[in-house]
Amino acid sequence: MKLQHLLTKDSKTEFYYEVLELIAGLFLVVFLTLHILFVSTIILGPDVFDALAQGMDAYHLGTIFKSLVIVAFFAHFIVAGRRIPTRVREQGIVWRHAKLLRHPNTWAWVFQVITGMAILVLGAIHIWVVFTNSPTGAMGSAMRVQAGYLWFYIALIPLSFYHAGVGLYRQFVKWGWFPRKPVGYIIIVITLTIIAIGSVALWAFMQLEVS
Amino acid sequence: MNSNNTHITDVLIIGAGLAGERVAIEVANHGLKSIILSLIPPRRSHSTAAQGGMQAALGNCAMGQGDSPDIHFQDTVKGSDWGCDQEVARLFCDTAPSAVRQMSHWGVPWNRVVAGKKRLSTGQVVNDDPEYDGLISARDFGGTAKWRTCFTADGTGHTLQYTMDSLVIKLGITMHDRMEAVRLIHDGDHCMGAIVRCLRTGELHTYLAKSTVLATGGYGRLYGASTNAIINEGSGMSLALETGIVPLGNMEAVQFHPTGMVPVWILITEGARGDGGYLLDKNRHRFMPDYEPGKKELASRDVVARRMMQHIRQGYGVDSAYGQHLWLDIRHLGEKHINTNLREIANICRSFAGIDPAKDLIPVRPTQHYSMGGVRTNIDGAAYGLKGLFACGEAACWDLHGFNRLGGNSLAETIVAGLIIGKKIAEYTSGAAQKYTYQIIKDHHANIDQKIKDLISGKDGQENVYALRDQMEQNLMEYVGIFRTAAELQKAVDNLKDIYYRSLKIGLRSDGSGANPELSFALRFPGMVRLALCIAYGALERTESRGSHYREDYPRRDDQNWLNRTLAYWPAGADLPELKYEPVKITEIQPDDRGYGEASVRS
Amino acid sequence: MSNRTLTFNIFRFDPYRPEVAPYMQSFSVEELDGMTVFVALNKIRETEDTAIKFDFVCRASICGSCAMLINGRPQLACKTLTRNLPKKITLMPLPVFKLIGDLSVDTGAWFRHLSLKTKSWIHTDKAFDPQVLEERMDNQTALDIYEAERCIECGCCIASCATANIMEDFWGAAGINRVARFMIDPRDGRSGKEYFEVIGSEQGAFGCMGLMACDDLCPMELPLQMQLAFVRRKMLGLGFKV
Ligand SMILES: Cc1cc2nc3c(=O)[nH]c(=O)nc-3n(C[C@H](O)[C@H](O)[C@H](O)COP(=O)(O)OP(=O)(O)OC[C@H]3O[C@@H](n4cnc5c(N)ncnc54)[C@H](O)[C@@H]3O)c2cc1C
Ligand code: HEM
Ligand code: HEM
Ligand code: SF4
Ligand code: F3S
Ligand code: FES
Repeated sequence: MKLQHLLTKDSKTEFYYEVLELIAGLFLVVFLTLHILFVSTIILGPDVFDALAQGMDAYHLGTIFKSLVIVAFFAHFIVAGRRIPTRVREQGIVWRHAKLLRHPNTWAWVFQVITGMAILVLGAIHIWVVFTNSPTGAMGSAMRVQAGYLWFYIALIPLSFYHAGVGLYRQFVKWGWFPRKPVGYIIIVITLTIIAIGSVALWAFMQLEVS
Repeated sequence: MNSNNTHITDVLIIGAGLAGERVAIEVANHGLKSIILSLIPPRRSHSTAAQGGMQAALGNCAMGQGDSPDIHFQDTVKGSDWGCDQEVARLFCDTAPSAVRQMSHWGVPWNRVVAGKKRLSTGQVVNDDPEYDGLISARDFGGTAKWRTCFTADGTGHTLQYTMDSLVIKLGITMHDRMEAVRLIHDGDHCMGAIVRCLRTGELHTYLAKSTVLATGGYGRLYGASTNAIINEGSGMSLALETGIVPLGNMEAVQFHPTGMVPVWILITEGARGDGGYLLDKNRHRFMPDYEPGKKELASRDVVARRMMQHIRQGYGVDSAYGQHLWLDIRHLGEKHINTNLREIANICRSFAGIDPAKDLIPVRPTQHYSMGGVRTNIDGAAYGLKGLFACGEAACWDLHGFNRLGGNSLAETIVAGLIIGKKIAEYTSGAAQKYTYQIIKDHHANIDQKIKDLISGKDGQENVYALRDQMEQNLMEYVGIFRTAAELQKAVDNLKDIYYRSLKIGLRSDGSGANPELSFALRFPGMVRLALCIAYGALERTESRGSHYREDYPRRDDQNWLNRTLAYWPAGADLPELKYEPVKITEIQPDDRGYGEASVRS
Repeated sequence: MSNRTLTFNIFRFDPYRPEVAPYMQSFSVEELDGMTVFVALNKIRETEDTAIKFDFVCRASICGSCAMLINGRPQLACKTLTRNLPKKITLMPLPVFKLIGDLSVDTGAWFRHLSLKTKSWIHTDKAFDPQVLEERMDNQTALDIYEAERCIECGCCIASCATANIMEDFWGAAGINRVARFMIDPRDGRSGKEYFEVIGSEQGAFGCMGLMACDDLCPMELPLQMQLAFVRRKMLGLGFKV
């Protein structure tokens, strides 16, 4: 063993990282799913959307949830980020490998890394924008969407749900709670459904008359 | 010669199959140092290919009840057609049970007895006693009176080798893989080690040791159609023969396995028949009961193989582009059984022939499988002729198998002999001193060096080694197969002699640099032809039929004249082996009828 | 059946002659019925270029010697039928392992190192007593151990794993499966803590990202997903305890 490895050897750190990766990843998926369903209440009308938003704020649920999301977002960035092939040489190896191997799950991971990077940027912008414009309300949101954020969300919906879907699949695969193939199909179906709902919600935002 | 390339140790073990590694473990347990050499990583040795199992009289499973080393001994002697050394067989049978248990202790996941009633594929219902529940089980194998073949599903050799190797690693035994021994160093009296060529770089190394062990496996690849790995070229036997002093025993005793799959010659394990598979002819008729009403498909290997060829000759073979063959039928065993217990077979059929054995018939034909002959040793594993040289496993003629080996006895041999001989080697080595002189090493080194240079320069000629190999294979296949006659054997001897001369004039077509594979093969090839000549010439001279050696012109066993063992020597400069004979040691059972096969051949 | 003429593009490189850069060399071979890459390569060596290096031992998918990249994917060359391949066939050595020359790589040394690092042998204090009956074992346990032990150390799972390609000392599916084999063996006396030390790290269970190329490409069809997950779950439990 090399000195630098010997002196930094701490089997527990790896373990905690791994647990954190699991929890943060799952939490973000749950959040994202609830989040999009919540936003999609706009389909049922702005009143429902506002009622929900106010209902959450009344019990500070929103604040708690928001803080947790931000913590999880960055925790995830750190723990999942350590898997990103960062060196130029590693990048080269991974691309070459994926192209040669023609293996769907490996490609899925390559795109997960890419979408992750994209979400880091887009998600951060989004969170920033939403926070600096609180409180949340149907009209405010619709205004944003119509003011040009439509394209932003059209990009963010598939990116984030692709990322979440593949991430969830890989978590299930890694921990082996269920056999791979059925889990894969179920997640694909759920992801597509959610993307569809999200798109309808966007459409709903666009339809809203903003004064 | 480069002093960096010189390695000195107590025991040099050439071969990392089960036999070599078992010796190494025993030697290490006696506190001695050893180095193991292997052409390939040890876990790729051909021992891993053995699927069927290993015999030991444990008597745990229902059909093995009442088994004992005595019965195992009787089966082995009968199987050998009284050609084996009975003292060796006795020692072997008595030791086998504890050897199996020791492998279990070390980690082999032997299949275990599951108490309760079960129905065999023959329809018979057996009841495994709860008293034996969880003990090592056994399956049926050809030529055995009881179910005695211990197994791990269909990967017995694999689990044995992996377990053995795990112990070698644990004990920190030095392993040099991709190293080929190309010449024994000796002074005509003592063996001092070997000259070894590195198969990564092509460099020559010198290994010096107090004792040297040949555990290099069989020579199946002399034959064109063989179940053996492509590295099984009998190189250990060639090394010994080349000394001119060490004889090879019973080289004409070549076993053919009844069921090699056409046309790739991959073995379909006896387990398929043990578990209830049938042999069918072109009319889909199950013919074995006609010839062998008692044991049917499970008579000893030589008998089944011969019956198959006999049946083919009578016109019942199935025609194909690769010659005539018969069918193996395991469909009735059911998909579940085939895909679990016989999974390896199922995979082989699918991958290499594109057939599904649960639905299709498997094309099979007798195929070269095992070499009973090898470096002749005494009961302690010491080679005749050179002190400090030992042999063990398929490379040796310890003489457990005589003229026919029982399935399951050779895995057991590698381990049991490794244990027993390993002890003897340790004893010998502890009392021995490193004996070598610089001059002798230099001479042997120079000999190989010169050969390499000549092959590269093409100074002796331009013979193509691959073309010569094809001719050698053909001669053995056609004239030294299952049925043998004087005329054909004579033809083989004449042709092989010619091939031998030409093999001394090989010239490389590549530049031979580094670990060049053509050079490796060209270095090995003349030795292979010498082995082929030992087989053909030994078979020609032995004018009787015994075990796997079957002479159509002498169909009977002749105990009057031939109850003996062939010893083949290769004097320097000769073009034929010199044959001598020694009596077979009979201590317990006098020659008698085997109870299968011969009885009907004789009448 | 009209037989095709196959074109093999073969990677050539000799690490002992680094001055010659790696290159691809092409050979034509007339396809035969039932031809495997093993047959074709030997034909090429015997008739075209006798210096070309590759490894075969058992030629029956038992020994694990002959794994190589066949059209980019790790496979056992001995059991790859040419009839399942296109006319153009590219052969390259496995990545990750040390190159010996042309298509030959040193999987043997890699796996030996793995066995050493993971201490792949039965750890027991009991001495063997030849006079005593073997310890009993449930047959199902024996079969489960065998299921993990079936690995032939071919290296396909390692070569196909992106993580192993970039992370020098990752043991991959074969390594984690190896540890699983000993974990389920009642004869092995190692404690949870000892196992955690061996495999509860980024080189072991936690290095795997669930890419599943191993599971898809293992020629022995080992249930690698389940083995990897089994060890990971075990490590989760142990991590909180030790
Ligand atoms: C397909 C098949 C199935 C079988 N099934 C069974 C079965 O079910 N039951 C049974 O009892 N028997 C079976 N056998 C027979 C049995 O497997 C072998 O006889 C036995 O494994 C031989 O072991 P070994 O250690 O002597 O040699 P091997 O396992 O062949 O090992 C030989 C070793 O020598 C090394 N070597 C060779 N030459 C050199 C050299 N010049 N320099 C350095 N190293 C060298 C090789 O690298 C290798 O490590 C089977 C055989 C075959 C072919
Ligand atoms: C709402 C946002 C996000 C969600 C729901 C999410 C979800 C997930 C999930 C469930 C996984 C699988 C975890 C695992 O394999 O261990 C994952 C993996 C990953 N995520 Fe995210 N993630 C989000 C944002 C991000 C961001 C911002 C990045 C940018 C760095 C990122 C980068 C990654 C990477 C690189 C992986 C792969 C890690 C691995 O293979 O082990 N993710 N993500
Ligand atoms: C705590 C942090 C977050 C808050 C408070 C929040 C809030 C909101 C709000 C109010 C909307 C409605 C549109 C708008 O107002 O512009 C919205 C939409 C959206 N958010 Fe978030 N968001 C958060 C985090 C995230 C994250 C981390 C992601 C993904 C990575 C995300 C993805 C989206 C998407 C895709 C939409 C559009 C949904 C649609 O219209 O269908 N959000 N978010
Ligand atoms: S797990 Fe499968 S792919 Fe990996 S080395 Fe073993 S047999 Fe090969
Ligand atoms: S491909 Fe590699 S990342 Fe894990 S699932 Fe297999 S070891
Ligand atoms: S040669 Fe043994 S697995 Fe291919």
